[in-house]
Amino acid sequence: MKYNNDERYWNINLLNKWFSISSILFLLCFIWMFYHDNDDEFKRYQREFRKLAVKVSQEKLQVALDDVKDSRNEYENKYNLELESYNSKQVKIDSLNSNLEYVKGLFYKANMDYLFKKAEVDELKYLYEDEIVHSHHHDDSDTHSKDVHNEYAYKEKYFSALSKMDSLQLKKEDYEKQVLTIEQQLKDFRRTLKISEDDLNVYLKEVNLLNTQLSKLDRSKMSYLNQLGDLVRDLPILDFMDPYYKVNQVVAHDIKYDVNFASVPSVDRCTSCHLGIDNADYKDAPQPFTSHPDLDLFVSSASPHPFEEYGCTSCHSGRGRGTDFVSSVHMPGSEEQKREWEEKYQWKKLHHWLQPMLPTKYTQASCFNCHESQPMLKGGDKLALGLTLIDKAGCNNCHHIDSYKTTRKSGPPLTHLDEKVNKDWVMKWIKDPQSFRYNTWMPHFFNQDNNSDEESIARNNAEIYAITEYLYPDGDKSKVDNSSKYIGDAINGEKLFNAVGCRGCHVVDEETIALGDVDVEYDMYLSKYGHEVDTSGVSYEKMNRYSLLKYQGPNLIGMGSKTDAKWIYNWIKNPEKYWPDTKMPNLRLTDQESKDITAYLLSFKNEDFDKVNSLDVNEEELKNIAKRWLVKSFPVNEANNKLDSMSKEEIADYVAKKSINYYGCYTCHTVDGFENGKPIGVELTTEGSKPLDKLDFGHIHDIAHTNYAWFEQKLANPRIFDRHKIVAHEDKLRMPNFYFKPEEIEAIVTAILGFTNRQFSDNKIIYNLVEDKDVFEGYKLINQYNCQGCHTIDGFGGQIADVIGKLEYSPPNLNTQGTKTQPDWLFEFFNNPTIIRPNLQVRMPSFDFTDSQWNAIIKAFQHMDDRGLLLEGHFSVDKMASKFKAGEKLHTFGACNNCHFYGEEFPKQGVQTWAPNLALTKDRLRPEWVVRWLDNPNTIMPGTKMPAPYIPDSVTLALDNAVSTWGKDVIALNGDREKMLEAIRDYIYTIEGKTDISTLIKDYFKVNGYDFDSEDEEDDFEDEEW
Amino acid sequence: MIETIKHTIDYISAPTISFTLITVLFPLFFPPTDFFDKLNRKLRIYKIWTNAGGLILFTLISIFFYMGYTDPNFKIILMKGDNFPIVLMIYTMFFFTWYAMKKSYINDARIEEGKKPTEWHDPEDKVLVWPDLVYIELIALILFMVFLIVWAILVPAPLEEPANPAATPNPSKAPWYFLGLQEMLVYFDPWLAGVLFPTLIIVGMCAIPYMDINKKGDGYYSFKERRVGYFIFMYGWLVLWIYLIVIGTFFRGPNWNFFGPFEYWDPHKLEVLNNVNLSEYFWVIGLGQPLPQNILVRESVGFLVTGLYVFVLPVVLAKTILKNMYKAYGPTRYTFLMILGLSMLSLPIKMYLRWIFNLKYIIGIPEWFFNI
Repeated sequence: MKYNNDERYWNINLLNKWFSISSILFLLCFIWMFYHDNDDEFKRYQREFRKLAVKVSQEKLQVALDDVKDSRNEYENKYNLELESYNSKQVKIDSLNSNLEYVKGLFYKANMDYLFKKAEVDELKYLYEDEIVHSHHHDDSDTHSKDVHNEYAYKEKYFSALSKMDSLQLKKEDYEKQVLTIEQQLKDFRRTLKISEDDLNVYLKEVNLLNTQLSKLDRSKMSYLNQLGDLVRDLPILDFMDPYYKVNQVVAHDIKYDVNFASVPSVDRCTSCHLGIDNADYKDAPQPFTSHPDLDLFVSSASPHPFEEYGCTSCHSGRGRGTDFVSSVHMPGSEEQKREWEEKYQWKKLHHWLQPMLPTKYTQASCFNCHESQPMLKGGDKLALGLTLIDKAGCNNCHHIDSYKTTRKSGPPLTHLDEKVNKDWVMKWIKDPQSFRYNTWMPHFFNQDNNSDEESIARNNAEIYAITEYLYPDGDKSKVDNSSKYIGDAINGEKLFNAVGCRGCHVVDEETIALGDVDVEYDMYLSKYGHEVDTSGVSYEKMNRYSLLKYQGPNLIGMGSKTDAKWIYNWIKNPEKYWPDTKMPNLRLTDQESKDITAYLLSFKNEDFDKVNSLDVNEEELKNIAKRWLVKSFPVNEANNKLDSMSKEEIADYVAKKSINYYGCYTCHTVDGFENGKPIGVELTTEGSKPLDKLDFGHIHDIAHTNYAWFEQKLANPRIFDRHKIVAHEDKLRMPNFYFKPEEIEAIVTAILGFTNRQFSDNKIIYNLVEDKDVFEGYKLINQYNCQGCHTIDGFGGQIADVIGKLEYSPPNLNTQGTKTQPDWLFEFFNNPTIIRPNLQVRMPSFDFTDSQWNAIIKAFQHMDDRGLLLEGHFSVDKMASKFKAGEKLHTFGACNNCHFYGEEFPKQGVQTWAPNLALTKDRLRPEWVVRWLDNPNTIMPGTKMPAPYIPDSVTLALDNAVSTWGKDVIALNGDREKMLEAIRDYIYTIEGKTDISTLIKDYFKVNGYDFDSEDEEDDFEDEEW
Repeated sequence: MIETIKHTIDYISAPTISFTLITVLFPLFFPPTDFFDKLNRKLRIYKIWTNAGGLILFTLISIFFYMGYTDPNFKIILMKGDNFPIVLMIYTMFFFTWYAMKKSYINDARIEEGKKPTEWHDPEDKVLVWPDLVYIELIALILFMVFLIVWAILVPAPLEEPANPAATPNPSKAPWYFLGLQEMLVYFDPWLAGVLFPTLIIVGMCAIPYMDINKKGDGYYSFKERRVGYFIFMYGWLVLWIYLIVIGTFFRGPNWNFFGPFEYWDPHKLEVLNNVNLSEYFWVIGLGQPLPQNILVRESVGFLVTGLYVFVLPVVLAKTILKNMYKAYGPTRYTFLMILGLSMLSLPIKMYLRWIFNLKYIIGIPEWFFNI
């Protein structure tokens, strides 16, 4: 066909060619687009995981097959035999089956007839009823006007249909019965076969399960049709129905994410790639398939944090909706990891996502979001250490943290400093605290990165001078009082110091190497994604929460260079007199004991510190500082006039006030005139959520641009962000340097990252889950007053045992304390501690707590053991009961009086094994607990010398001579261990005698001393293992 | 050596220098009058509009981008998915300008010789809508779809996290096609740069057919036959629009500070911006007295200057230099043309006033949201 009629000026063939080329190109691009669109990163992982899953399932199948190897044949043979005998009856079965088919057909017809008839009956019934109703209506209007037999036309029809239906029903039921009979016969033939088949299936359950699993996973095990289906279900567009490769997600309704002021539930798609996260089979699989390292605590549905409720980003942060490596905002924990990721995943940071994933080392930070009211968690050591450090270093004095408030000023009051130290010491101390005590909590304000030039040093010296003068309004202390009135025997003092309990909170340690002195690039050591400082070859004490317990109070080294005997003596006798807020308890030392300890502490001198020259102060500099401050608040001329009118003392006073304000001395110490001072630091309540651009990196470009890198650097060198900046003295960064160690920095950063504004539903916040909020106060007190320095509480603490050396002479493990003692007794004991364990030299100190504080502590103990505070009735024992008599008998076999006091009656054995007064038990212990204790003392208090009493079992009690040995009351208990323990308990609760035997014991030790231990140690305790 | 070149380019790209350079050189490339035409021929600039010239032009642009690619600072900006269209735009803009000018010069030569332009198709200079036009358009459409799909696959759309009003990016940039407007905001009140000027641009473009009384140069490439119109349009298009977009893309960094292409975008960079209103120039600096309380008195100088520019200048021009034009166009057309022309001209004027005198507003009445 030709188109020459058409008018055209372009070559149509050329256009056609171009059209075909472009169309083909377009088609190709279209296909490419589909391919590209469906080639998601997660699908690649899912394909890889499928292979892995096949491998793992096959391995498991192999194991399962090995397991059933032994008896599988047996079951199978049995089944085959049954099958054979079943098959041998095949002729009979066949005839039954054909019969059944025939009868079923008859039944079907009969049933149909019956049902049709029933429908007819129902209709007739309606018509008949209708007739009756209508005839009654007529009755009312014109009575007897109608013919009677006309009235019920349907009556007969109805009844005849009814009787027909009944006969049909009989017929149907007859066939039904026949069917059942035949079916039963068939079943009987099968019965034994079915049993052996079930047995086989139960035995092979695991194998069958794995086989089914594999048939869904492994394409090579599928039928051709299923293989095709498996392919088609993942084709583009068709994959909306039931794809194998798909985005997995969980919507955690209680975990909110703030999208531009609207809170939406977090949606976590992490399991699209982390496919083995909830399956322990993949614990050694490569990432991203590795299972969660702690499935008991997280992810699994039986754990307290199931995946369906918490998702992933509640703890790990990051962008839950991300379905590839970069868009989920993974964050590297180290520079090496960063480089590896960049190469492997083209990793880059997404800048505008406010909650980037926490690097693995900081994941614990998230615990704080919900556990803020009791953050000292098992398994949350790093967070707990960080929070403890924040409290100890007093970070929350300067930085308000709403969720972790300070309870008091962390430094001692400076209101009557003249009683304690002299001016010269104070100035040297402020200037360089670590030169006096290498591990003091007092941080370094001076000689830092931004103030160690000559001009700053001169200025700082003048400031220190002015502050010191301000702290001594009445001049320096008149004289050092080291009179013998306050000094006893230093050697005895050392013994006492180590024995009575001081070591629960204090050490007296000579200097070890402080990291600040080590020749490392300390200020930049955390550069770039947490590159760790090389601390190899540097010996220093690695800090963890446990090692921190002994530093509750200061290291008491160098006291002889600091203060005098009078102050130490008075302090030991009554710490609250000098410092009303002190955490130092009263150990109720006698005068002589106090003197001895004073002598011991006074014997430590810091000669290097003594030799340091006093500060060089230039008075012109004072004037200069005053002027600079004045100019900040007044016009220049007025400032000059003011300065001229000031006397020398006034200038010093002015500079002191300005400096104390500037450095924030009053935030940690009570300073006269600064009672209403506000915290000077940035509020840290939501610091972990602070947008990155609110953190001033200044000119420091060598560290990673992340919030945690900034925090790390800030803690390592607080002034570094002033570097290369031109800043006036009054505007310089002033956060002091605590010389934290690397692991301390990591812990503190963990805590800071936990201070967020993230939102969780109320039912996820631990505070709302505990009814009595006092519990949290109790936990806090236990933590802050370092109860765990001496006692093991909730599985943590008791470091003083390391000093004492033996668990049985150390303060008791407070495991099960909540169910152990009667609350009212415990309350009494706290307020007025008496001697419970007679052979312990270490003492329970007296804390000056209010009643509500003690209540809170008791509630916390009860909470640990899941017990609420209950009023409990007096436990009364029926002395006439047979059970009591059995207890009395059993008790004689236990020989309790070998170790235990019975009121004022001393135990039979030596001091080493002395144990609590049994006359006190009825007042002190809870009856249920005593039974648990008697059952197995060592599980409750590991290392106790208390043996479980011997309890005869039913076999022993059935012996011939049992009656004569045990008596009829014991035998009546029938060998019931529980009952017999209760019987002993009942007896113990009737032991009479004095309950408080403190004086008795004190007197004994006054005469005999505490040296009993060393003599007998070798023969008695050789086999003890601590 | 390369460093020196980079520093030179950085230095030249400063808007004051580069804008002046372009403005000065522009009439040499597109000579609107005989004077510039002579210069153009003397300097042989017209050689650019030949194949060899085009090759050199494209080589130079490519060398510039290659240098940018090897430079760590420029690479970051260049490799952003958002900026890919700008690179494309620079190439296409140069190409089409070069292509049009090349064709024009050929046609101009032909017309001078008395021949028909190259686009002239014998016998009747005719193209059919179907199949010639529609079919070709269909093919072009398909090919363009291919291009868009390939682009979308190879350079993924730079989608980021959900926008967060608490953490806005610095610099916050408009989409690339609005960067010219955003650049105008540096010099003008938002009402002018954001509302009035865009409106005038659209209205002006709609008005072009009605303003154009030149019957020549219709349906074929030609420069000489409409060189003034060509010059004005191309100045507005290439310099006042495309060039501003390029500035906005490559040269505006954090805090909207200016950075040379090879400079590091330092967010701490500070520049003096002591901008002064005309009223302050007149009263405070000129007369040494405080600003008058009365707003109208205070801004009287500004009103006077603006009045002269808008109302007096067109009249004076109509009587003097543009006498012939006024005659040809008639009062209505002339007035409308003047409004558009003076508005367009006000942009470079205001830019220079800012650069030379730090002039903020000629009339500055923030009390009434009225600033010019």
